[in-house]
Amino acid sequence: MSPRAHAAARLQRMLALVPWILANPGSTLPELAERFEIDERELEHDLELLPMCGLPPYTADRLIDVWVGDDGAVSIRLAEYFERPLRLTPAEGLALLAAGRALLAVPGSDPTGPLATALEKLERALGATGGVAVHVGSADHLDALRSATDRGEQVDLDYFSFARDEMTTRIVDPGRVFNALGAWYLAGYCFRAEADRVFRVDRVRAVRLTGNPVEAHPSTPGSAGDLVYHAGSDDLRVRLLLGSEAAWVADSLPVESRKDRAGGQVEVVLAVSGNAFLERLLLGLGPSAKVLGPPAASALVSAAAQRVLDRYPES
Amino acid sequence: MTDRLERMLNLTATLLDTRRPLTLEELAERLEPAYPDEKTARRRAFERDKETLRDLGVPISVETVDGLGGEAGYRIHPEDYYLPDLGLNDEERAALHVAVTAVRLEGGSAQAGLRKLGGIEGAAAPPLAHLEVTPALADCFDSVAKRRTLEFDYRGEARTLEPYGVVHRFGHWYVVGRDRARDAPRSFRVDRIEGAPKAGAAHTFEPPPDVDPAAFLRADPLSYGDEVPIDAYVLVDASRAAWVVDDLGVDAVTERRDDGAVVVRLRVVNRTAFRTWVLGLLEHGEVLAPPLLRADIVGWLEALSGGAT
Repeated sequence: MSPRAHAAARLQRMLALVPWILANPGSTLPELAERFEIDERELEHDLELLPMCGLPPYTADRLIDVWVGDDGAVSIRLAEYFERPLRLTPAEGLALLAAGRALLAVPGSDPTGPLATALEKLERALGATGGVAVHVGSADHLDALRSATDRGEQVDLDYFSFARDEMTTRIVDPGRVFNALGAWYLAGYCFRAEADRVFRVDRVRAVRLTGNPVEAHPSTPGSAGDLVYHAGSDDLRVRLLLGSEAAWVADSLPVESRKDRAGGQVEVVLAVSGNAFLERLLLGLGPSAKVLGPPAASALVSAAAQRVLDRYPES
Repeated sequence: MTDRLERMLNLTATLLDTRRPLTLEELAERLEPAYPDEKTARRRAFERDKETLRDLGVPISVETVDGLGGEAGYRIHPEDYYLPDLGLNDEERAALHVAVTAVRLEGGSAQAGLRKLGGIEGAAAPPLAHLEVTPALADCFDSVAKRRTLEFDYRGEARTLEPYGVVHRFGHWYVVGRDRARDAPRSFRVDRIEGAPKAGAAHTFEPPPDVDPAAFLRADPLSYGDEVPIDAYVLVDASRAAWVVDDLGVDAVTERRDDGAVVVRLRVVNRTAFRTWVLGLLEHGEVLAPPLLRADIVGWLEALSGGAT
């Protein structure tokens, strides 16, 4: 942190700390350090600075008075102008409400408990009642997977692999269930892949409990960062020329290279995780994307288009 | 560095305490540790302090000082500065602590906000969810709270929105409200707003009393669009039936066949989204009706199968 950013962060903390001590005289150093997530040394530095602050002309009756008792109890006087904390910034208000609304939307949360009432009070104070909503998505097998994860029990899953368009069965040691990008995921060790994998819970079709405890695995299960597809060296690379209507592909998918071409067109190289992924993408994009190579990719797409067309015999 | 921190605390206290705006010269006479004597350096040091304080959300107001030739004066109106007492109890503070540790947002604003509400109460929760934060989101939320209109460019078109709320769905943030020019409810993806949105004056509209921003985004992305609605019937093979029914809800099912296949009904208001959805099923789905949409899919695929790609 730069000295300037450090000063700002410290100032921000002190403007919250002082009102709390004024309202709760006698709070001890360890309590305050825990409450404001700083170590006691930093807290003492903050408290040592305060008696040098106050109002002009900085005579004893105008300077903030701080004393710490032998028992570590802290009290402050002569700082009435800091009796209330600074208002929440829009970013702070939004972050608190978004986190709270997200947690409240998780199946199993108490819709009338302390979180709900805290959010109502916060919204009322900010004038934003109902102004922040978060959908976390639902999934049939979420509860079963969360409880298996908490118990550390191995599961046997039927899982639909979207990239390959196929149904699979696999034994998984669940490591963590989490929500990211508006969907639920299960991270764990997959015995079929013999590696850590992340699964979308809404593509899990069945969960069978095995009764076996999870085993120890050398690597740790993933976090949200693992959701991004990492291309393997064996994965197919496709060169595409994207028209303006398909240009979002260059921004939204992890392309390996991009070059802007005349007329707002973009040329990209895209690594693909499975044939079905490429078929869906290119059937959806239609004439706004052109396959420049390799020929196998063009053949794949026309074959897929023909397979779907076969369902429409009149044509 | 401590000198500057000390001066910024004193500046905040002085500006909160004053009943009238103070000029920079008056502030320089009063404040300790002192600002530089030289005028340019003094102004620069003051502007830097002011900027740091404003970045933290300290509402320093600039007002014209009477009788001093229109010179700028500074003060903080206590009512703009003080957080009203929310009346949170310890249980509610603990619940908020659980929320900000279970749901991670980038930027650390939730933690800073929590400190203002009285800091950490109770135990932290293990991380359960991750929410990304889009740059314009806080501006959009501020406009919701202050009833300011928002002006922005979206897909090359200028829009004026009376924002009712911000909603996270399908991994993206949306700002929803009434589009003034269209006089209709609309939703916009916040990360697709071009440039910084411009906020209008405060309290210039009132949302309808029973408005539910969350309901602006229905479960199904197919429902975004403004074409004349058409009901489409799609046959989905048994192997994909459970997944599609999960996706659309059981109410969408109009027929269950003996082999496990289902027919679902979709209200189409955006033909491009519909086509993408059907083609996502690959050869496991077929548009049965109406003939118009069936022909649309056939025409689209013929262009692709004929080696046109």
